[in-house]
Amino acid sequence: MRFVSFRSASSVLATTALLLIATAPSQAQTRAETLRYVTGASVNTLDPNIPGSTRESFALSMSTYDRLVAFGRKQLNGKWVFDLDKITGELAESYDVSPDGLKLTFRLRKDAKFQDGSPVTAEDVKWSLDRCVTAPILGKAQLLTGSLTSADQFKVIDPLTIEVTLPKPDKLALPNLATVYPLIINSKVAKEHATPEDPWATAWLKEHTAGSGAYVIESFKPGEQVIIKRNEDWNRGSPNKPAFFKRVIVQSVPEPATRANLVERGDADLVVDLQASDVQSLEAKGKLKVISTPQYNSITFVSMNNQIPPFDNVNVRRAVAFALPYEDMFKAALFGRGAPLFGANWPDGKPLNGIYPFQAPVKTDLDKAREYLKAAGLPEGFSTTFSFNVGQASTAEPMAALVKESLAKIGIKVDIQKLPDAQMSTQINEKKLPLFTEGIVAWLPSTDYFYRNFYTGNQRWNYSSINNPELATIAQEARFEPDKAKYEEDGRKLNAIHFSEMPQIPLWQPNQDAVMAASIEGYTYEFHRQVDYRDVSRK
Amino acid sequence: MMTGLGATVARAGRRLLSSLPALFGVLVFTFLLMRVLPGDPAVFFASGPNAGKEEIEQIRKQMGLDKSVPEQLVFYLSDIGRGNLGRSMMTGQPVLKDLRERLPASLELTFTALLIALIAAVPLGVVAALKPGSLVDHGVRLFCALGVCVPTFVSGLLLIYVFYYLLGLAPDPTGRIDVFTSLPPQRTGFLSIDFLLAGDIEGWWAACKQLILPALSMALFVIAPLARITRASMLVSLGSDFVRTARSVGLSWQKVVVTYALRNAILPVITIAGIVFSTMLGANVLVEKVFSWPGVASYALDALLSSDYAPVQGFVLLMAGIFVLVNLVVDICYGIADPRVSIG
Repeated sequence: MRFVSFRSASSVLATTALLLIATAPSQAQTRAETLRYVTGASVNTLDPNIPGSTRESFALSMSTYDRLVAFGRKQLNGKWVFDLDKITGELAESYDVSPDGLKLTFRLRKDAKFQDGSPVTAEDVKWSLDRCVTAPILGKAQLLTGSLTSADQFKVIDPLTIEVTLPKPDKLALPNLATVYPLIINSKVAKEHATPEDPWATAWLKEHTAGSGAYVIESFKPGEQVIIKRNEDWNRGSPNKPAFFKRVIVQSVPEPATRANLVERGDADLVVDLQASDVQSLEAKGKLKVISTPQYNSITFVSMNNQIPPFDNVNVRRAVAFALPYEDMFKAALFGRGAPLFGANWPDGKPLNGIYPFQAPVKTDLDKAREYLKAAGLPEGFSTTFSFNVGQASTAEPMAALVKESLAKIGIKVDIQKLPDAQMSTQINEKKLPLFTEGIVAWLPSTDYFYRNFYTGNQRWNYSSINNPELATIAQEARFEPDKAKYEEDGRKLNAIHFSEMPQIPLWQPNQDAVMAASIEGYTYEFHRQVDYRDVSRK
Repeated sequence: MMTGLGATVARAGRRLLSSLPALFGVLVFTFLLMRVLPGDPAVFFASGPNAGKEEIEQIRKQMGLDKSVPEQLVFYLSDIGRGNLGRSMMTGQPVLKDLRERLPASLELTFTALLIALIAAVPLGVVAALKPGSLVDHGVRLFCALGVCVPTFVSGLLLIYVFYYLLGLAPDPTGRIDVFTSLPPQRTGFLSIDFLLAGDIEGWWAACKQLILPALSMALFVIAPLARITRASMLVSLGSDFVRTARSVGLSWQKVVVTYALRNAILPVITIAGIVFSTMLGANVLVEKVFSWPGVASYALDALLSSDYAPVQGFVLLMAGIFVLVNLVVDICYGIADPRVSIG
């Protein structure tokens, strides 16, 4: 009897102990294996191709879908950033570019499976790429920049091989396939949900995913949070290993101060959109890891409308360029967190290289500014407005006050206009704003791409409305220039025109300040300026 | 008794009918107002890299903006008639679904805040009225002034700083429930009730902890009007003949103050509480933002900033509807508090 009771007691004890051991670490592990990412924005669609989709939706789709290829990464001043020149296979095991540059051949991985278990075939790839260039979705305009415009260009060779034909050897064709939009969809599943009015299943894919990516959607509450769980079969990152985190929670927290508190208290693991002041104080406390990368594919500028008087006069534009209080603006708006694009020294007055964005030899020099104003025939100055949108107020508001103060010194009276975001976009599109600040970004930051998209044509992204035939011609030629030295020479010419015409004044490249728990590793600055959840892991 | 109830129902029905033209007016007015505001939603939403004219046109078509305004209005009204409030560009969801998911969050928060405010304000007002001009009266006045002076987002941020950041007592201020807690089956949409129905006490406590701070920061703001109005109307009723009579016949202090004075003084408090409730529901936006509360007010503000027409229109319609309902409830409460009242 005693023996039995002892046994039962000990077995109870043992079971309790086992339970304790089993539950305590596993709970701790769940948290350690979960990445909680907080953001001021939110995911609004599961297919980034839907017009109106947010940047957070772009980032999410990188984890839920695979593309044919992906960008590699490199170190830039000790920080990991995406590498435009190193393109590796994602769903493609390998790829070839024909010697004339007109044919790209992709061989698919044999082991690649969609999340429902069916294999990824060349048919799926063709359907997905056809959708991207045919359906009325965002991918269309993006792929156009890589000479990918028609479904005829994609040809299935065998179930695991697909061939892409180009009309011209376009350097940007391959990188374009690594961007957000040309994601590879499980065509069998998508076709089941296609309707005669919606043959590409855009409505269904907005709310559902059918991909082969590293993560599967667990729950999706638009405007609040998305929870994704790991796809154990995914091995596109490193061989035989899925992504690190078992779960990722992407949560919207609109108040920046709250986001800062969350990450400081260790309740959130990673955030990339804090206010510069908060980043500075968190960095000073030293408890968290702060990785600041200048967003080298983006630019913040002050733009002038080159068609509206008095800014149609180049000397007025130059006057403004030499009257802006660069250093003060940089400190007030960004707390110095970024890479300045002013204050360069060009010894012989020529651009140092052919790379855009470039650091321009402008600095605050009021005497020079006054001379330019005199040369423009406006020694007394004039009145104008300076506009920015509410969304950028935290950086643009202090900047605007300094611009107003400094321009007043050379006689330019500035009225500050703070516009709701939708109103600002509308006025920019209608080319009604004389002087304003904005930011631009290019996923594929090559010199000709910037110049073609932001400095040519009567279109929305030509913020300064510059119409310079020489610039347009060189930029178009550079696009298909195979010779690297000649391309560099074209870049120098373009930069020289930019500086002498001064259509707009580049200010800086703001930092992407990623603030994370000390245990988080592998953060990489990506082209879409969001976190790729597949990059990060916990020590 | 039956006739009294019947009369109340009939009165409520009449009230509801007479509010329909006002609701229709609100509908049309908001519709037109949104279209008059500068800012083209299509241009805003086509902001992705490389989105050009074609994308803008496409969104315009998707939102129905390619048609003339009267045509749009007719489509909109017929949609409303079929219970379709349109689709939000911002969340990509039907507005009705968004509102249905978010309204309980706002209601739960507002009810809790109003309850806290009433529980605090009515006794404060009564105490102040009992001893006008005393130290207690001045104390209440100071407290009320402070409550009104500090904007809700400041008190919210302060509460977060103290109770979450410094003391670590409160859970992280991110919405209605901790992200790691699983949700109860949705029945009422009020998390505190749903958890109780599911018998999950731990979850219920987690939801309540999330609710306390935002509700408190909202309550602080509305205690003042409620306490002041209680005090004023208590003063009037304490000085009236029937209270003097009650006192002179030697009724207990409690009976005099609570049964006679307070019951007579409560009418204006109900009116104000009704107004405060409707205002709070819409004006919550700052508290909702600070606490990442997924409510209707922050939803409407985001929509307004991006010129997303459908959610704004849906929100205004919802608010107008709630206003009508609240007025109705206030009327009925009047009847209960003072049977003599009959508002045709």
